[in-house]
Amino acid sequence: MELEIVRRIDSLKDIYEFIEAFFESNGTADPVRYPVHFVVEELFTNMVKYNPGNMNTVLLDIDTDGDGVKVMITDYDVDDFDVTRKRDVDIHAPLEERKVGGLGLHLVRHMVDKLDYHYEDRRSRITFTKGPG
Amino acid sequence: MFDIDYGLDGAIICKGRLDAAQCEKAQEFMDAVAEAKTLDFSELEYISSAGLGVLLKTQKRLAAGGAGLKIINVNNHIKDVFRYSGFNAIFDIEA
Repeated sequence: MELEIVRRIDSLKDIYEFIEAFFESNGTADPVRYPVHFVVEELFTNMVKYNPGNMNTVLLDIDTDGDGVKVMITDYDVDDFDVTRKRDVDIHAPLEERKVGGLGLHLVRHMVDKLDYHYEDRRSRITFTKGPG
Repeated sequence: MFDIDYGLDGAIICKGRLDAAQCEKAQEFMDAVAEAKTLDFSELEYISSAGLGVLLKTQKRLAAGGAGLKIINVNNHIKDVFRYSGFNAIFDIEA
């Protein structure tokens, strides 16, 4: 299933409904659902935030992958930004040293089974899989 | 759909999905909180990192005055998000 997403934060509602429709028609297991919603939101909102002048739509593709799902998000005419690179996030820092923001991609890495990034001709493609295990 | 309001016992009730599109609403409400409060998450299905930012910003502000947030009735998915974020060490979280 494919969805062409208008590049704005308000599109999160359309994304949610699209993913839920996929889950319902495929009987996707509960442990898969939250992480998929979470990871798609984090990746999509990053695309919106860091490319504010880009008017291209973002392509979301979701398919079954065994008992789980495989998701592909493609963004056009963007700079290279490898989301698989490990981020320095100190989750043990005391409250006074914590900064708001910067947790998204750290959490994405925890939520998926496999995360891939491919960049070519100013097109970025992020693929992740998530199973029920 | 996200909603935030005070319950009858004075706790702050969060309902629905706290995603990036709903953070402004949540932040506006939390910015008006001036003392230690309990957040009841029994009807909160989902929170993203943008929602975590709302909680963290509020906790930092309240902690500067010696107060803080207590979060109760957290579902297992959100518990995982808190654990991966280290939030269980900087918030008082009760299952």
